[in-house]
Amino acid sequence: MAWDPEKDVIEVIRGPKEAGGAGGLYRAFGETLRGLKTTFGQLRMGVDTIQYPEEKIPVYPRFRGRHQLHRFEDSGLEKCVGCSLCAAACPSDCIRVVAAENTPEHRVSAGERYAAVYEINLSRCIFCGYCEVACPFDAITMGHDFELSDANRSDLIFTKEMLLAEPIERTPLRAEGE
Amino acid sequence: MPRPLEKLVSLTIDGNEVQAPEGMMLADAALKYGDVEIPVFCYDAKIGPPVGACRMCLVEIEGIPKMQAGCSVAVTDGMVVHTNTPTVKAAQEAVLEFILINHPLDCPVCDKGGECPLQDNAFGWGGGLSRFIEPKRHFEKPLALSPLIAIDRERCILCYRCVRFSQEVSEDDQLVLEERGADTFVTTFDAHPYVAPFSGNITELCPVGALTSRPYRFRARPWDIEQAGSVCTLCPAQCNVSFSVRDERVLRVMARDHEGVDDGWLCDKGRFAYQAIHVDERITEPMMRDGGELRPVTWDLAIESAAKLLSHAGANTGALVGGETTNEEGVLLTHLMRETLGSNDLDSRPGGALELELLRALNAPTLQASVPDLQYAHAVLVLDCEPVDDAPVLDLRLRKGVRHHGVKLLIGSSRPSALDQRAALSTRFAPGCGEAFAAALGAELAGQSSASLAAAAGADPDDVVALVAQLRDAGEEVVILWGERLTAGPRRNEGARALLNLADQLGLDGQDGGGLLEIPSGTNSRGLREVGVLPNASIGLADAATAGRDSQQIGEALAAGDLSAVILLHSDPLLDQPSSALWQRALGKASAVIAHAAFLTPAVREHANIVFPAESYAEKEGTVVHPDSRVQRLRRSIARQGETRAEWALLAELAAKIGNDPKALTCSMVSARIFEQVPFYAGLSLDLIGGVGVRWSEREAAASFPAAPAAPFALDAPPVAASPNGLLRLGSFRSIWASPEVEASPALAFLHPRQRVEMSAADAERLGISHGENVTVASNGDSVEGLAHIRASAPDGTVFLQTSIPGESAALLEGPLVEVKRA
Repeated sequence: MAWDPEKDVIEVIRGPKEAGGAGGLYRAFGETLRGLKTTFGQLRMGVDTIQYPEEKIPVYPRFRGRHQLHRFEDSGLEKCVGCSLCAAACPSDCIRVVAAENTPEHRVSAGERYAAVYEINLSRCIFCGYCEVACPFDAITMGHDFELSDANRSDLIFTKEMLLAEPIERTPLRAEGE
Repeated sequence: MPRPLEKLVSLTIDGNEVQAPEGMMLADAALKYGDVEIPVFCYDAKIGPPVGACRMCLVEIEGIPKMQAGCSVAVTDGMVVHTNTPTVKAAQEAVLEFILINHPLDCPVCDKGGECPLQDNAFGWGGGLSRFIEPKRHFEKPLALSPLIAIDRERCILCYRCVRFSQEVSEDDQLVLEERGADTFVTTFDAHPYVAPFSGNITELCPVGALTSRPYRFRARPWDIEQAGSVCTLCPAQCNVSFSVRDERVLRVMARDHEGVDDGWLCDKGRFAYQAIHVDERITEPMMRDGGELRPVTWDLAIESAAKLLSHAGANTGALVGGETTNEEGVLLTHLMRETLGSNDLDSRPGGALELELLRALNAPTLQASVPDLQYAHAVLVLDCEPVDDAPVLDLRLRKGVRHHGVKLLIGSSRPSALDQRAALSTRFAPGCGEAFAAALGAELAGQSSASLAAAAGADPDDVVALVAQLRDAGEEVVILWGERLTAGPRRNEGARALLNLADQLGLDGQDGGGLLEIPSGTNSRGLREVGVLPNASIGLADAATAGRDSQQIGEALAAGDLSAVILLHSDPLLDQPSSALWQRALGKASAVIAHAAFLTPAVREHANIVFPAESYAEKEGTVVHPDSRVQRLRRSIARQGETRAEWALLAELAAKIGNDPKALTCSMVSARIFEQVPFYAGLSLDLIGGVGVRWSEREAAASFPAAPAAPFALDAPPVAASPNGLLRLGSFRSIWASPEVEASPALAFLHPRQRVEMSAADAERLGISHGENVTVASNGDSVEGLAHIRASAPDGTVFLQTSIPGESAALLEGPLVEVKRA
């Protein structure tokens, strides 16, 4: 069936065709007042708005936010050995690991190998936490930080240094029983 | 021994009736025909007969009270096998628990993780829990077994695969197991590094991460990489390989098992020289000589200038084509030379042109032996070549034939061969006298006296008689594996005739399982000849309209000023051609030298005016032809590095710029054109060639191969080998490691050869030279320096030097006699 442009014209009704008298007045003011009743009725409920970013909802301990890489507390060596299992487990393919070998002069991790490059593309990450599950050395965990917006996509590729750095404490943690 | 006849037997595996060839091992038969996997560690059919070391493959066979190792039981008729009864399951779990007692839990740092048979078997058949809490055994780790291989003895499960490879496949006898019980470890018998031409194969064989490749160490995980199948073009063996590619870089090369080509093995050059693809030395942008130095320029300028130089030179252009050129590039070069510039002076044979009739006779499809024939023939005659240097993987095939199939190996060469110990008989003749030697064999076979011919070849007449007696007794399936050296040099045509006569006397024409197999000097030499990259032949080995100059004559004409420009397509005459002096003069005189090269080899560095970057074999697409007539396909596996462009496209563009567009829009278009124009390739297509290749000589179209004259040919008396007379005869050889790729690969650099002067102990003593000393080899005022290398097996009166190495190459010397002195 050919398209007939004439049939597609819709008549826009911008108001009553003729002035409406008392019915018209009711429609203009009465209905408005009826709506305002609901509005004013809510006044006694108080304010529920959270003034983000001044105020934040505390997250649960197992909240899966931005990843963190960890070091051993005693030796300061990286826990990550660059095994790439996180990259294998990642369903959105956002982790890239390039391993290298430790030398006695340049020891980065505890094992034979370390991650020379460890990048997570957070604009692609779906925060499923599989990387944390896959990690045999507890080197990567999901942190609490969820404030990840940025003006530039490439800034959302987090490097090893960024992931190893102490995270900025900007997300409150929910206390026991809260 | 001829190929065993395949007789099918039927057996029952897990309740299913299965047909399998008699004599096949149960583990193989179950997987291949029964779709049942019996887990194995120590067994791999390509290593040879099973040893049953790991006990992983235990199965129940009705009628035998105890469980049997599935890898070492051959299938028989009526056999009833159970592979998943509770008894078998318990045995598998117990064996895995036992194997894992000492295996460290370092999968996250182990390079094998993700492609590890131990992981797979433990996951598939293991119990999941270990009862062992005792400490595991400890060794120092990781250690370098060689500069190429790292060994981690803690991970070793003592399956013997590597040791068996070293002792039974490559037969270098270097790897052994030392100590007993849990203290057993793999090492070399003398604790020296394991350096051998095929050592890298053990990293692929190891079922755990005990032997890993050092260049690949920690580079990637199996899930980080993609496998891309192609063909290695570093030597004429053209092994089928699979590149591990990550981020458009080749990180490793693995064998892509092909029974008809490589039998699943690779040499270390093929396995590790991939590194040359990604080194800084590689030429990845066009360059032009400016003020005596090569400087990078834009593509437009380089092409424009090359077109100008070539159209200026016109018919006074010559071209040398190296073995790594594909058929497509070869055809486009002939278009550029013949149809565009009007020159017939192009050659792909370094030894000079062979009469076309003889070339046809040598390449006749009925006379071609295949690679598997080497393994199953009654006898193999290795004539004037050294497989381990010229086409390494064939060396393993010959060893397999001798060891497992009773092949009678006969060797006739001038230089001692690595295969001598496995040969039924090995004969030496003077360097360059292959023709006389072949003629002597022919005469003896015909019942004439061979003594004078043997003397002319510098061979022992008794050896010739004995060798012929062996050939006669062996049986009708005889393969002659001959080197292109036999048909190079001034008497090349006579050499070819002598060889053809010999083949005729042995009845090799049309013989199933026998024939001739050439080891050419270049990877794709055979393909290039067949598509007409010869001065005297056009596409399909048809007669050329006008015969041009061959490589030798091109050099002479350049030196004399008759030719003014030369194209070096993957060819460096200072490395490849027999005479360096001639080519130094020729290139010095040439007004335009246009090179397609990947590395700044001597001729390119010193003489090229314009250098176009050559694609590496991982970047190339096209077809090549294996010496046994298998047409194989190269596939592009990675992005071209730097500014490198497709070379077929470049050759087409050059021709178009000069004014004769070949109208080649894609590489496959050129391939299709080749399949159309070469009569004996008719009906081939890239799809048909696929991943395994097609032997054109086995197809019906082979009947349209141009007719060749039949043997016997009349032979004239060959010249008598020069008598040393106080001097030494000069022999030359090209080492497996003599290639710019090896030199450029960081991991292989330690193998890149320096000149060494091989001589016998008697000669060394006479000249007062000791092993490892610096010596000078001189003739006619030219001299070459090298380290003296005394070989017990070297024949007296002959000295061997390497060619194809930059600097001190044997090509600098004019034979046949040289003087050797202490430097």
